[in-house]
Formats: sequence, C-alpha cells, structure tokens
Amino acid sequence: MERIIECGNIVFSYNGTDVLNGINFSISPGQMVGILGANGAGKSTLLKILSGLLQPNSGETLYRNKELSKLGRKELSKHLAYIPQNPVFAFPFTVTETVLMGRAPYIGRFEFEREGDIEIAGQAMETVGISHLKDRLISQVSAGERQLASLARALVQEPEIMILDEPATFLDVRHRTEIMKILLKLKEERGISIVSATHDIFAALYYFEEIKILKDGVIFAEGSTETVVTEENLSNAYGINVTVKKENGRVFVFPSD
Amino acid sequence: MNASKKFHISIALLSLLWLVIALISIFTGTYEIGPIDAILNPDELSKTIFLNIRIPRVLMATIAGGTLALSGAALQALFRNPLASPFTLGISGGASLGALIAIRLGLGIGILGFSMISISAFIFSILTMLFVYSVSKVGGVVATGRLLLAGVVANFLYSAVVMFIQFFSNFTESLQTMRWIMGSLDIVGFDTVWKTLIFVIPGCLLLLVSTKDMNLFGLGDDVATSLGVDVKRLERKIYFATSLAAGSVISVTGPIGFVGLIIPHILRMILGVDNRIILPCSFLLGASFLTAADTVSRTVISPVEIPVGIITAALGGIFFLWLLIRTKKEVIV
Repeated sequence: MERIIECGNIVFSYNGTDVLNGINFSISPGQMVGILGANGAGKSTLLKILSGLLQPNSGETLYRNKELSKLGRKELSKHLAYIPQNPVFAFPFTVTETVLMGRAPYIGRFEFEREGDIEIAGQAMETVGISHLKDRLISQVSAGERQLASLARALVQEPEIMILDEPATFLDVRHRTEIMKILLKLKEERGISIVSATHDIFAALYYFEEIKILKDGVIFAEGSTETVVTEENLSNAYGINVTVKKENGRVFVFPSD
Repeated sequence: MNASKKFHISIALLSLLWLVIALISIFTGTYEIGPIDAILNPDELSKTIFLNIRIPRVLMATIAGGTLALSGAALQALFRNPLASPFTLGISGGASLGALIAIRLGLGIGILGFSMISISAFIFSILTMLFVYSVSKVGGVVATGRLLLAGVVANFLYSAVVMFIQFFSNFTESLQTMRWIMGSLDIVGFDTVWKTLIFVIPGCLLLLVSTKDMNLFGLGDDVATSLGVDVKRLERKIYFATSLAAGSVISVTGPIGFVGLIIPHILRMILGVDNRIILPCSFLLGASFLTAADTVSRTVISPVEIPVGIITAALGGIFFLWLLIRTKKEVIV
C-alpha cells in the first residue's frame, strides 16, 4: 500500500522524561486519522515529529520513502502543512496577507506574490468560507475565524498531507463542526490526507475513519473508529470511567461516574 | 493594492523625501551659503564647510537614522513585539558603555581599519540583546512586561557604570562624555562615515535579505519552521546584524533615542505590517527624520547646537505617551 508518511520505532525524550516510547505510524494518501489521548500523552510531540519540526532521539520518519530530516524544509512545505493548536499572529497582517504566507515556499527571497498566488489565496479563503474577511486584520477576527485563516494558509501550500494539532480545541461548537466539515471535504474532493489530534471524541466519531489512541508515549489502540472507540479503551486512555452507547446508528460517549 | 506595488511606490516617495530633506539640510546652517553660489561660485570657506562639515554630517544623520530605524523594525520582528527598539531594550545603553570604556582605555586606534570603539560597542550590544532576549522569552513567547523590565534593568546597570566612570573623570572628560551621551551627529570629515559604513552595510543588508522570513517568523516558531524558515538561524542573524549596525552607529553618535521605535510604528500605521515593506522604508524614513531633526538641532538657537538626541528623545517621549494612551484598552502582557 502506498504510504505518504511512515515512521518506525520513534523514541523521544525531553529533559530526561520519555515522551514517546516506540511509536510506529503510517499514513496513506487520502486517509483521515484522528489521534486521541489525555493531555501529556505525547500527541503534540508525535505530530511535530511527523511534520519534521522535532527530531526523535531514535527511530526513523520517512516521507515517501525518503528520510524526512534529509528533505529540504522548503521542498517539504510544498507537500506537508502543519497547523498548531493555538496559532501565533504576532503582527496584525490582513487575513489575505496571512493566507498568502502559505505561498512562501513558492516565492523567491526577493519576490513578491504574483497574481496567480493572490488568486490561489482567494480560492482558499472561499473554500474555508472567510472571503468576506479578506481585508480585515487577523487581530480583529474571532478565534474561530483565525483558525479558518490558518487552514486557508495551509491550503495554499497545496499540500498532500495536513497535520493538525487539536485545531478546534478553543473554538465553539459551530466553528468546530465547520473545521471538521472542511477537513472532510478536502479529504474527499482533493484526496488530501489528514492527521489530527483531537480532544473532541464526538468529532473523532463522526469524521475520522481511523483512530489511534496514545497513552504514556505508545499507541495502545488503533484501527477503524468503531473498533477503537470502546468503553474499555477510552476509560483506559483518560483514566475515568466512560460509557459508550449506540442509538439509531450513532455513537454517544459520556462519563459514567 | 498588492504588496509589490505598495513596496515600489513607498520606496520611491520616501527616497524623494530623503533627497529633499538632505538638500535642504546641506544648504541650511549658521554659515549661510546659497545653492547657486555654492555650485557656481564657491569660495574656499564654503567648500570646506560643505565637504568637511555639511555633507559628512548629512551622510552620518542618514546612516544613523536609517540604521536605528531599520534595527528597530528588525528587533520588533524578532521579539514579536512592537515595543522593541535599540533604546527600549537597553542595547543603546550597552553600546554607549562599550564605546565609553574603549574611549577611556585609550583604544581609539583601529585594528585593520576597524575602530576598537565600534567593536567594543558591538560586543556590549550583542551581550545586552542576548540577556534581554533570554530573560523576556518565556515558553517560546516574549512577554512584554518582562521585555521592558529587562531593558530598564540593563539601562540602569549600564548608567550606573557610566556614572561611576564619570565620577572618576576630570572636568573636560566628563563634559565630553556628557555631550556624547546626549546623542550628537557632530562629526568632521568623511573618515567617521567610512568607518561606520564598514559595519553598517553588512548589518543592514543581512536584515534586508531576511524580511520575508521575518514575516513568517511572526506566525510562531513551529509554523515558521514548517514553512521553511530556519528559526534559530534567523534569530542569530537578527541579533548579530542589529548589534553590528546599531552598535557601531551608537558608538559614534551616542544613544539617539526613540528613532528605532517611532519610525517603524508610523510606517505600520500607514503601510501595514509587511516587513518586506516596513524594513527598507524604515531605513529611508529614519534617515529623513534624523537628518531633519539634526537640521533643527543646529539651527533652532543658532549658533548654539542642541544635541540631536534631546530633540529625538523629546519627540519620542511624546509619541510613546500618545501610544500608551491610545492603546489603553489593550492588555499588555
């Protein structure tokens, strides 16, 4: 089976504490994978290693069969986009300017964006539904709209894989749903692979076809969403008792105590 | 308007502004020389004044103002904070002390054409910047409160040492130091100009080629890295280049305050925050501003020259105050 990213036996420790303890992970084209796990389970670290932002202490990460760390960062950014949980916007660029920054890998050091780039940014803003904000300052739009701008920024990189670290954690339910729907659309219409950490079990249930659950630096459960999201696994992952109920073909999860 | 168009128009207009101010400045002063006389029929005295005083001085104001404003804009990008500048971060203080120590130790002689005074100012600048950066960065983010406090602390420490040196100086030395600390562009001949340019040109160029990366850097370390920026290298580049350029300017002119803070601010209000536009424009507007301020400083109560640092600090203080009042509703962390 064709693989975009494949990593084997990833070990990562930080200040003497093991964060990841032998992770094997692979993702195929057009796959949408959710990563669940309690705070501190190592989700963010894993995503950063998959994105090439952190180097593991041992183990290897391959991007299309090539060692990830040996690929030029700029070249990689034309294929892989990363979206953090709480993106930083230090200066009040306009929303369009922010989105255009995703074109950086395609623009030379002394060049400005061309008409084509501006068009691509316009389409991306349309896709995520923020065209009406294009001239607003990024500092003056809501957190949800900022995250949508991040998504558009990632989109103009024209990636084949997007790696997201809990993109919807700080957002209200409408924006959360919106973001998940957009991701699903990108996957289905453009075949973009999605890897996303999430605390939102409901989103995981409805939108991801595959789930991996992380605990103490290892993946202790993985597979199709139905097989993985069980009372036993969730109780184990979060350390509380969880009830999983199925009704009318939908799955509900809630704490039992 | 797209970024490219904005860039070209603002560069053209600001270059024109600088040219006009520079020309006015050259023909203004205690000793009056009309432009027509100066070009068609110059006497010996006029020639000397032009070549040894006015032109070098306008060039020095241009270099100093441009460099300080450009460094300010770059530091604001590095600290991801609009209040960073060579003055507020204590870098000016550091460079001043470095220069003063070199002067007092009699290190006026250069090594291979590099002035020891500039080198000493550079070393103190870069140490101050490393100190302030490491103290104010908490969890990957620069906290404004810590940043300003660290700058204030650095400035206090340096001024304590400067006062200590002052205390043991004789009257003439003390007066010289005092004048120098007030910030002045009082130079004679082109020698100082060349010596400063050796440091300023590489420093400024290094900053100007990094403006695209500075924009991406504003999206946070992780996103910037994921878009192809070598974040650690960019940080080191900005440390090094601003210390080199601003340090060597300050070693000649003394700490001219607030140019590095005001100029990028004004430009951002008009042109937006794109560093590819803000940095080069900061150089041009900073150059124009300091040249104008210097012209005022040497003509307002002519023949007495007020140190230009007094004028920029006064304007800067008022501007800072206005900024504080205007941003009162925003929480400064």
